[in-house]
Amino acid sequence: MKPLFHINIRMPLLALLLCIAPAAIAQVPDSRIQMGGLDHLTAKASQTVDVNIDERLMRLAAKVFSDKDEDERQVKKLVEGLKGVYVKSFEFETDGQYVAADVETIRTQLRGPGWTRLVNVTSKKEGMLEVYLLFNGDQVGGLAVLHTDDRELTVVNIVGPVDLDKLAKLEGQLGIPELGIESPKKSKNDDEK
Amino acid sequence: MKAIATSILIVAMTLTTANVVQAKGDDFNSVVKMIEQFYRVKHVGIPFLAKAGMKVATTAARIKGGEAKRIAEAGSVKLAVFEDQNFNGDFIKFRNSLNEALNVTWMPLIQTLSGAGEEQVYIYLKDAGDKFNVLVITIEQRDATVVQVTLSPKNLALLLKDPEGTGKAITQEATINDQE
Repeated sequence: MKPLFHINIRMPLLALLLCIAPAAIAQVPDSRIQMGGLDHLTAKASQTVDVNIDERLMRLAAKVFSDKDEDERQVKKLVEGLKGVYVKSFEFETDGQYVAADVETIRTQLRGPGWTRLVNVTSKKEGMLEVYLLFNGDQVGGLAVLHTDDRELTVVNIVGPVDLDKLAKLEGQLGIPELGIESPKKSKNDDEK
Repeated sequence: MKAIATSILIVAMTLTTANVVQAKGDDFNSVVKMIEQFYRVKHVGIPFLAKAGMKVATTAARIKGGEAKRIAEAGSVKLAVFEDQNFNGDFIKFRNSLNEALNVTWMPLIQTLSGAGEEQVYIYLKDAGDKFNVLVITIEQRDATVVQVTLSPKNLALLLKDPEGTGKAITQEATINDQE
């Protein structure tokens, strides 16, 4: 005979699992930067851009870009293997609309295991540019760019195998803003993180 | 006890799927109603627009750098227009409500907010068999449009490459009077 307590315990447990399962599925990979901490800046910004190209969309992108069109073939090659492109960009009318603590919500994540800041990366744009790569062993698992100016704050996060050359070619496409990135002559790990 | 446990299970399953059910209906009409309720505005019916000389999706849109071509698949356009009304409201609250309602079945592609909510543009997309549905919601200070179209994979590529520009072109294509 099946003991009654088995039913009593199993059923609520099953119910609990059903509630938790969607959250577990939605769990993001490590190279995905959480940018929700910046959302409050939307109310102060004169321009906010929020791009979300997740893995489903990246797979679609890889399928729909044509091999016949030279331009599309190049983009297709660039997006192959990528698992997501996320951008959050704010422009402000006046200085001082965001504070160091806002930027810190991003930098804190980029101090996590695997992330390495590339030095000597410059931008044609004014302001400060920080570029980080996430290494899984020898493989690059993601990239993050933080561009800060007195009146601008932009975070770009690309999930998947990507490098600076690829990023530079993707500028202006897939909602990635023109960052004016100039590849360094050489890059090395920044131990001061 | 068994009955209680079963009830808990049913409630849990209902809660888990509630949002899915909410978003499975006609999302285009839901978004139009959401705008109407949130901003206390009314959209203009398509027959009225047609009388005024405006045709839906009959114009060709000029894609950045290319020749004039139609973006939306023929006959796929759904359009709601709000004209000369006040769109004053908490745009962040609106954005959150919109995302909450659509994010289950639609993929948010790009959202831009300009001038403290003076212009809001939201672009969502989803699979529709071998084609794709795209929903473009544009809200300005006095006007707004909700456009849903079906895109071929080729035109989806355009949208993915240049989400902002192609999103605007989709709205233009759906609303510009080709008799002009």
